[in-house]
Amino acid sequence: MQKKNQLKGYLFLSPIIILIAIFLIYPFVNVIRISFFKTQFGFGEMEFSGIKNFILLFKDEVFRISIRNSMIWTVGSLILQLSIPLGLALLLNKKFRGVTFVRAIILIPWIAPVVGVAMMTRWILEPQLGLVNKILMGTGLIREHINFLGSMTNALPTLLIISSWQFIPFGTLLMLASLQTISPELYDAIKIDGANSWQIFRYLIFPLIGSMIGFVFFFGFVWNFNTFAIIWMTTQGGPVNSTMTLPVLIYRRAFKSFNMGEAASIATIVGFFLIIVGFLFFKFLWKRTER
Amino acid sequence: MKVFRTKYRMQRLSLILLVVLIIILLIDLFPFYWVFVSSLQPNIDILTGKTKLFPKKVTLKNYADLLLETAGVTAFRHYILNSLKVSFVVALFSTVISILGAYGLSRYQFYGREFIGRMLLFIYVFPTILIIIPVYEIMSKFHLVDTHLSLILIHTTIAAPFCTWLLRSFFDSVPYELEEAAAIDGCGKFQAFFRITLPLSAPGIFTAGIYAMITSWGEYIFVLIMINSGTKKTVPLALAAYMSHVDIQWGRLLAGSALNVIPILMIFLPLTKYFLKGFLEGALK
Repeated sequence: MQKKNQLKGYLFLSPIIILIAIFLIYPFVNVIRISFFKTQFGFGEMEFSGIKNFILLFKDEVFRISIRNSMIWTVGSLILQLSIPLGLALLLNKKFRGVTFVRAIILIPWIAPVVGVAMMTRWILEPQLGLVNKILMGTGLIREHINFLGSMTNALPTLLIISSWQFIPFGTLLMLASLQTISPELYDAIKIDGANSWQIFRYLIFPLIGSMIGFVFFFGFVWNFNTFAIIWMTTQGGPVNSTMTLPVLIYRRAFKSFNMGEAASIATIVGFFLIIVGFLFFKFLWKRTER
Repeated sequence: MKVFRTKYRMQRLSLILLVVLIIILLIDLFPFYWVFVSSLQPNIDILTGKTKLFPKKVTLKNYADLLLETAGVTAFRHYILNSLKVSFVVALFSTVISILGAYGLSRYQFYGREFIGRMLLFIYVFPTILIIIPVYEIMSKFHLVDTHLSLILIHTTIAAPFCTWLLRSFFDSVPYELEEAAAIDGCGKFQAFFRITLPLSAPGIFTAGIYAMITSWGEYIFVLIMINSGTKKTVPLALAAYMSHVDIQWGRLLAGSALNVIPILMIFLPLTKYFLKGFLEGALK
């Protein structure tokens, strides 16, 4: 079968491993080091300051707002991004003419470059010229133009929906693929036993696609928690911090106020949080996959 | 619910499924159509709110304005060339690196193989925002800030792991015995790989390359932190800059976004099934 030549295997993988080590793993660790330094003007003058950055952070109101926003963002997104794909996948789990075409084409929002999506969002939701406002005005549902991205109450939910719109096709296709691993005989068998639709879902489908739901959950969690580009290009965290999530705050502190140390300490906290989530995922959800 | 009754038989679309499909496709695709169709209308109509859903007359004026203008910051042609340059090199590097890596993963038995494979898949959602500061530090140490090389390096690092993961499943599906048989027939080991496994995995290799190109073409965070000079911008950065102007030139902006999105989708659409196949090999195992 396969060659049992250990060293050669590593050799073939070395280019990619070296890249990952230098540009992903080393920075991931190094950010912890930077978080213990007081920095001025980027990396110009670094001065060891212990845990002072962290202490400052916990007194920082914007940091608290960002944590809250990030939580709302992640939980809200995941609710949409798990329930809708599951529903759609159950509905689309059929063979019909053009199914391959439909599957390819619904993936478009997930593949499209994020700048295009941000641009599109701003154009469609533009307060005066945007299509959504025009339609709502035209049908008499609203009397005044809605400023979707410029109002404190609307901005976060609006972006949450846009971002979920991007993810949902991807989630749907993953769940659909998982559904299709269930053989038709199993459906026949459980129906002979007299199971209704709910029981079919509860006792046949769910146990078999549960691990896929876990997988989509974890992917979605990490992806949502770190969403930066779409927020930055539409609201930059505003108005008045209402869309300020942790990634946006990290970028702002690092490259707008040039406080690298403080930004690094936020990144460290987020990093540890994600590591814990990852650990829990691999311990409780992923293992089941390897029956 | 009759959903489960007629499974896995080609069937005529039921009415409800048809309606749902149309709604899904509308929500999915309409925004793209709207940007595209708006970009084909005169700027003055766009700015006065007269944009039409089905215009009788279309014009390429916005595209011409965007691409032919040479003055100052509006040298969009230049940004397209920058983006093409960076993303082509990223595609090339990623393809080579991932062919090597995938070959190692697929054909050799070694300690930590499954862990490495899994790690490559999960880098697909690596939280890049957390490492922008140290990456910037590394790049400035090597005097790479504000160069395209910095983008090429970091984009390759982001794209190549998934390409490797994807290719591994393609290499795995070519039986090793085929290669061995060819080797017995007098091919060298590598010749056997090049003559047999590589051609059989062509769709995977193509998908990996295009995936890397798209990743680089649309990547925003690292371009934002690395590139300062106007002449080195790539398309995403240029578009984002246009967007933050006080009076937005919607006509040009829409044309620019269409140019940013539509060619990519055209290239990638036929490859989505391979993209999904690669993804699912791991997720379902």
